[in-house]
Amino acid sequence: MSLVEFAQLLNDSEFGTALRESVYMFPLIEGLHLIGLAVALGLLFFVDLRLLGLFLPQLPVGQVLHPLRPWLLGGFLIIFATGILLFVATAAKIITLPVFFYKLGFIALAGINALWFELKWGRDVGHWGNESTLPVAVRFAGFTSLTLWSLVVIAGRLIPYLSYQ
Amino acid sequence: MSVLELFKALQSSAFGRFVGGLDHLFCAVLELGHIAGMILLLASVLLTSLNLLGLGLRSVPLTEIQRSTRKLFWTGLTLLVVSGLLIFIPAATSYYSNDFFWAKFILLGLALLVYFTLYRWVAARDSNQIWLAKATGGLALSLWLGVAFAGRFIGFFA
Repeated sequence: MSLVEFAQLLNDSEFGTALRESVYMFPLIEGLHLIGLAVALGLLFFVDLRLLGLFLPQLPVGQVLHPLRPWLLGGFLIIFATGILLFVATAAKIITLPVFFYKLGFIALAGINALWFELKWGRDVGHWGNESTLPVAVRFAGFTSLTLWSLVVIAGRLIPYLSYQ
Repeated sequence: MSVLELFKALQSSAFGRFVGGLDHLFCAVLELGHIAGMILLLASVLLTSLNLLGLGLRSVPLTEIQRSTRKLFWTGLTLLVVSGLLIFIPAATSYYSNDFFWAKFILLGLALLVYFTLYRWVAARDSNQIWLAKATGGLALSLWLGVAFAGRFIGFFA
C-alpha cells in the first residue's frame, strides 16, 4: 500500500469522516493545536532566548530549563496528539501538499537539534549554565531551534491555506 | 451610524478595497504575523500567570518576570492588532453576523481590563496574598486562552 493510499484510507475511515464533518469537534481540535503551539513554542522561545543571552541573562540556564520542561513537553504532547487527529481528518488532501513534508522535515531537524543539545549539553547544565554569555555551540543550538520551529509554524500555517486552493 | 454601517463603510473604503485586492499570499503573511503575535503574547502571559499560580519559573520574582516579558507582550499585541485589522477590514461585513467574532472581542475586552487593573496591581507587589495572586493568574490565563480559542472558531463559522 502506498502512502497516498494509506492517507486515503485514513481520510475515508469512519473516524476520519466523522472528525472532518463535525461542526464543533474539528474547530476544537484546531483550537487545541493552536493553544499547544503557543504553550510549547512560546515557552521554548524563552529557553532559546536565554541560551542566546537575551532573556533573564543573570539566571542560570538550569533554572529556566528544568521548571519549564514539564510544560514544554505537555504542550508538545497536545500538539502531536491534535496534529495526528487533524491529519487523519484531512489526510487525502494534505498528503498531496509538498509543504506538509517540508513541515515534517523541519520538525525532524528541530528534534535532532534538541536531542543533540540534551545529550551534549543539557545533562551537565550546572557546569556551564551560570554565565550570561554561553558557549558558542549552545548559542548556536538556541538560534537553530528558533529558526527551525519558526519554519515549522510557517509551513504549518500554509497547509490549510494551500488546501483550499 | 450603526455598527453594521461602520463595517460596510470600512470594507468599501479605498483602503479596504486596496487591502482586499492584494495578492492571496499577502493574506498568508498577515495570518503568519497574527500567529507570531499570538505566540509572543500568550507565552508572555503564560509565563507571568504560571508565576502567579506558583508554577513555572518559581525561583524568579514576579516583578522580574513581568519586566523581562513586557517588551514581548507589547510586540505581540502590536503585531496582533495590526495584522488583525488588515485581515478584518477587507471582509468586515462577513464578521458582523459571526457569534464567535463578538465573543472574541468581549473576551479580549475582559482580558485587557484584567491585565491593566488586577494583573498589574498584583504583579507590582511581590508579597501578595496567595489566593489573590492565584485567582488573578488563573483568570488572566483563562481569558487570553479564551480569546485565542474564539479567534480560531471565527474562521470555521464564517
